[in-house]
Order: sequence, then structure tokens, then C-alpha cells
Amino acid sequence: MNIRHIAEKAGVSVATVSRVLNHPENVAEKTRAKIEQIMKEEEYTPNWFARGLNFNKTGTIGVMIPQVLNQVYMEMAKGVEDVAHQKGYISFMCNAEEDVEKERRYLELLIHRRVDGLVLLCSCLEEQDFKLAEEAGVPVVLVGGCKYNPGLNLVSVNFQESEKKATDHLIHIGYRRIALLYGNASGVENEEKIQGYKKALLQAQHRVEERYLMQVENSIEGGYLGAKKLVEMKQPPEAILTTSDMIAFGVMEAIKDQEKRIPEDIAVVGFDNVRMSNLVEPKLTTVDIPLHKMGIYGARLLFDMIESEEQEEPKTILLQTKMKIRKSCGHKDRIGEMF
Amino acid sequence: MLDTIFLGLKMKTPVMVAAGPWSKDGKAIRRALEAGAGAVITESIISDIRPDMRPNMAYDGSGVQNIHLYSDIQIEGWEREMEIAKRGDGIVIASVSGHTPSELAYLASKMEKFGADGIEVSVSNPMGENLEVIASNPQVVSEITKEVVSNVKIPVMVKLSQNTTNISQVAKAVKQAGGWGVSAINSIRCILGVDTETCRPTLATYGGYSGPPIRPLGLASVATLAQSVDLPVCGIGGVETYRHVLEYIMLGASAVQVGSALLVHGSERITEIVAGLEQWAEEKGIRSVEEIRGKALNHLKSFDEMIIEPAISTARGGICTGVCQKCIEACVYNAIQKLNGEIKVNRELCTGCGFCTFICPEKKLNLEW
Repeated sequence: MNIRHIAEKAGVSVATVSRVLNHPENVAEKTRAKIEQIMKEEEYTPNWFARGLNFNKTGTIGVMIPQVLNQVYMEMAKGVEDVAHQKGYISFMCNAEEDVEKERRYLELLIHRRVDGLVLLCSCLEEQDFKLAEEAGVPVVLVGGCKYNPGLNLVSVNFQESEKKATDHLIHIGYRRIALLYGNASGVENEEKIQGYKKALLQAQHRVEERYLMQVENSIEGGYLGAKKLVEMKQPPEAILTTSDMIAFGVMEAIKDQEKRIPEDIAVVGFDNVRMSNLVEPKLTTVDIPLHKMGIYGARLLFDMIESEEQEEPKTILLQTKMKIRKSCGHKDRIGEMF
Repeated sequence: MLDTIFLGLKMKTPVMVAAGPWSKDGKAIRRALEAGAGAVITESIISDIRPDMRPNMAYDGSGVQNIHLYSDIQIEGWEREMEIAKRGDGIVIASVSGHTPSELAYLASKMEKFGADGIEVSVSNPMGENLEVIASNPQVVSEITKEVVSNVKIPVMVKLSQNTTNISQVAKAVKQAGGWGVSAINSIRCILGVDTETCRPTLATYGGYSGPPIRPLGLASVATLAQSVDLPVCGIGGVETYRHVLEYIMLGASAVQVGSALLVHGSERITEIVAGLEQWAEEKGIRSVEEIRGKALNHLKSFDEMIIEPAISTARGGICTGVCQKCIEACVYNAIQKLNGEIKVNRELCTGCGFCTFICPEKKLNLEW
């Protein structure tokens, strides 16, 4: 059963049936109802792939996820998918495993499959990769800290200011020896967080001690190993800041394994506010990043481009971050304020 | 007709419906417009919807507390709702709420595209916020206003909060950033009460207080704004009758929003208020809001400007048939006595405070000299 059969059966032209499919508002109510009824009876569905060729649209988008096991990216990806679903699109979710070569290969594959647009979460891709997308006419939106972003649509937060807020908070409580365990994920984001940490220390006229600044794998294991080293130091830090909640969970485990107490012996502060941060004991003080909202805005900017007739100026949307003060930082004074 | 021009929008009446659950979607907005509202403001639209606590609204017989978290329709869905809302005449203003300039500018430009006639930037909701709402920081309000104004062509007003040290400074920041007007006041951070049997607060968290108890606060804010900032003001807070609308206008408002009254008294209250106002204006021969706007401000004086008259409480006719002792009990100066039904005011003791003239249900007492 194809469009010609439907047209014959309804006694109308193929063009009319086509209009019912693509611009139903331009077809008289009665005719439209009749044709739709026949399509239903004949169980006719249009060939979406062929449709894609005609309209240059496939109803699909690509979503690049750096690491599918990381809750941060799960929340973001859900935000993207929520909007895509509402728009009637299917999302191809690709797990790049924080490997730039794998990400690059997925990018090529997605472009070859003629996706209508791409949302890249915390991408490691470089300038020439984006040229490829541009030449293919595939709109791209970046979400989160990406390696390369000039001239592209971007949804993010101010990472530097956010990590500074967390450091300020610890300084304000009275800690002097504050360590930062930062992850190995895509360059800029951690770079900004380290800057925020240093800025807060310098502003408070504390010294930045290199031995308290340590890179670890962005995972629970990475946090565990890093914290173990810190705790075993002759003069261990009074507080450990991290660039992700995942690292912080590892830190907490290491501190407990060393038979120290959180926050009495060592305070811990995370970053991201993933769901689990509210479930660990003690509950983790962290910086709330609006992950789902970032995904939502990534998709919104993408669909604005897909649906727009004209070329629009690239937009940057920066969202607010907030300190989530819980028990792990050892601060009681401000807990009550935080509604 | 008591018409007005607010934010460059010509309205047939200055009575608008405030952002809230009574303007939750296209149908509800349509109903409010057809009930006679001069304009309707959508329920506040946010970037990412959040599920509501249940219950999220409470009432103590005078004021309303809500912990309701804004519109439950995502921005994408508002395209359809606006199409419904605009299926006839009437002005629809979109309320957008958020925390950063780019976020609010995005929501505002979308709502403009969907047909909104104006934008109300709500940075003063107390729900889910820290002790300081955004609207308490003039610098941030200025950045937000600038970004929103530069991204839309329609008028933009900013909804201000009473929870701020200097509301006038915030309004000045709005003006300097290119805002078209301000509305005041948003609901006020509150806890409605505590159930002393269960030790539980009425609602689970801090919320926004609205309704008649906040009207005096709204009136004071509107008067302050009208006196100190050259921007159109929309009065909000506890409007229940057309007289309340007039109070706001006489203190300088160009338009007024009605909210909680629609919850407590039903949606037809808007029709009653509009009709009452029309009738009053007709009887007085007044045709536009401008004729009466700010009239009461002329009588609002600073302490320095006041001339003190030696007035004391005086009973009209002396004989009081009421059985109550209210004036006697209320007089902290013990100046009032009742002998054989006759009210006697001791001229030496009376300080002319005037409280008895308000407390007397028979309106027997008056300040005279």
C-alpha cells in the first residue's frame, strides 16, 4: 500500500494525500477526514526514510555522551531526550567513553546517517571536527564544559565561580588546609574549577599548596586513591574539595577506611549534586549543577535551529549553580537558611 | 469606561489577573479575559517544570500561603496554550521566572514568538529560594532586565518584592536597564502557622503569603515607587474589591493585579471588581485612570511637612446605645468613660491618637478641635 493507492481509493490526487501528510492545515476538513480514515483502514504509514530524503529531515538527533555510566551525563541526556521526545524526534545516544577518537568516529557516523542536529555533552572535539558538521549543514549545540566552543551554541554554567563558591564556603567555616582533587575529564571544565579554587584561597590570603592539589581519575576509585594519599600525609588537609560527586564518594570511603570521621576529622565537599549525594552518610555538601535543565536547553537551542528558516546568531545560555549545604562540610550555621 | 495605558498597552480596564494557578493555561486565560480582565498574566513559566508538593496552598481565613512551584507546562507547551489564549481579543502578558539573564531572555523571547503582548519578569518569588530573592539585588536585576529587554520587542516589566531593603533602588535599576515598568509586590516569605497538637507547620516549607493582609504592604511599596521612580507601576497585593483597586491607583498605580481573591472568592470576582469600578467611575464622571492616578499621594506627607492640629476625641451626640466597651478598653490613656450611656472624653488625658475612632463599631467618635 503506497500513497498512490490511497489517492485512488479516496478519489483524489497524490498531491492532496501528500498535503494531508505534510500540511494538513491546507486541506479541507472533510477531505482530510476522509483520507485519514482510508489511511487508517489500510494501515498506511508513510515511509519515513523516503520522507527524510524529500524534506531533508530524518526526525533524528545525535546525543554524544562522554561516559554513559556517569550520573552527571545521564541527567543531562535525559533533559535532551525529554525535549526531543516531545518534538517527536528519536535520539541516537552515543557513548564516547571520554575518548576523543571514539567521539570523532561517532560524529562522522551520525552525520552520515543524516541526523537533523547534534547535542554534544562536555565534548572533547576540536575545531576541525566542527567544520565537518558545518559543511554537512548539521546544527550543533554544546552542553557543559567543552574543549572547543567559540562561535557555537552553548549551554553551560560558570564553573570557576561555582568552585570558588565551594572553596569560599570552606574558608568561611574556618578550614585553612583545603585540598582539591580534580578529575581527568575534558580540559576546560577542570581548568576553570582549579582557577576558582585558587582564586578563593588567594582572596582569603591563604597559600595555594601544590601538594594539596591532585589530579585523579574522575571516578569513585580515583577519589578513593587520591584521598588515601592525602590522609596519609604528615599534615593531612582539614577539608577535601572535589570536582565531581563521584570523586567525593571515593574520598568519603577512603576517609572512613582510614578510621577518620567526616566532617570532624576531614570535611568533604562534592560538585554536581547527583541524586546519590543526598543518600550517602553523612549527606554530601556539594554544588548543585542544573544538569537536567542544561540538557533541556541544549535540545531547545538545537530545535530552534532545526526549525528556523534563517541562520541565527549562536546563543550562550548560562544557568545558575547553588551551594547545597548538607552535613559533610561540618557547617551548622547556614543549614536552616537553605530552603 | 475607565481605560488606561499601561506599558504602552491600551486596556479597557486597569484590572488585570495576576500570575497564578488561575491563569495556568490557554483556557483559563481565555476565561479570565472573557470575564472582563483588562489583561491576564500567565502563571510563571520556568525553564524546567518541578512537581508540586501536596498540599501546596493553605488559608487561615485572611491570608493565603502557597508553596506551589510555578507553571507545570514546559515552554514548548506554551505555544499551544498561547494559541488558545489569543483566540479572541485581550492582552496576555507572559510571566517568566528564572535565575540568570540568558535563561530569562530565552523564555521571554519564546513567549514573544508565541504571541505574548508583554513580559513580566518574576525574580521575586520566595518559593524555593534562599533568604535573599534575586529582586533584592539591584545589580543582578539590572543585568537581567537589560538582557530580556534587548531580546524582545514587546514591553517588559519586572515584578518586585517587599523582601528587600530598598525597593526604590531596585526599581531604578529596572529603569536604567531599559525596563518599561514594575509591578509590586510579590507574595512574601511566610509560614502560615503551626498545628500545636502535631507540632507541624501548616505547609511543609516556607512559602509566599498573599491576600488582604499584605495589601497595606503593597500600598506602601506602590506609593514609594510612584513617588521615587519615573516608571509605570502595577499594584499587586490583597485586592478584593473595586475600592482596593482605587486605593492602589490613588497611590500612583497605572494598573492593578488581582490574584488570591480569585482563589478565595471564585473566578467571577474579577467581573464584580471590574463592574464596581465602572459604576464608580460613571457616577463620578471619570473616564480614565490618569484623572485619579496618584491623587492620594498629594496627601501623603513626611513627618517634617506635617502641621499638628490640637485635635482630641469627641463623641458625636454623646449618647451611645452600644453595649460594648471597646473605646474604653482600647484607650491606653484612660481618657474615655461612659456614664449613663453618655461617652465622656477627658480633654486633659486624651492625646488625640485617634485609635478609638477606628475601634468604635458605631463610628461615634471623631477627632475634632
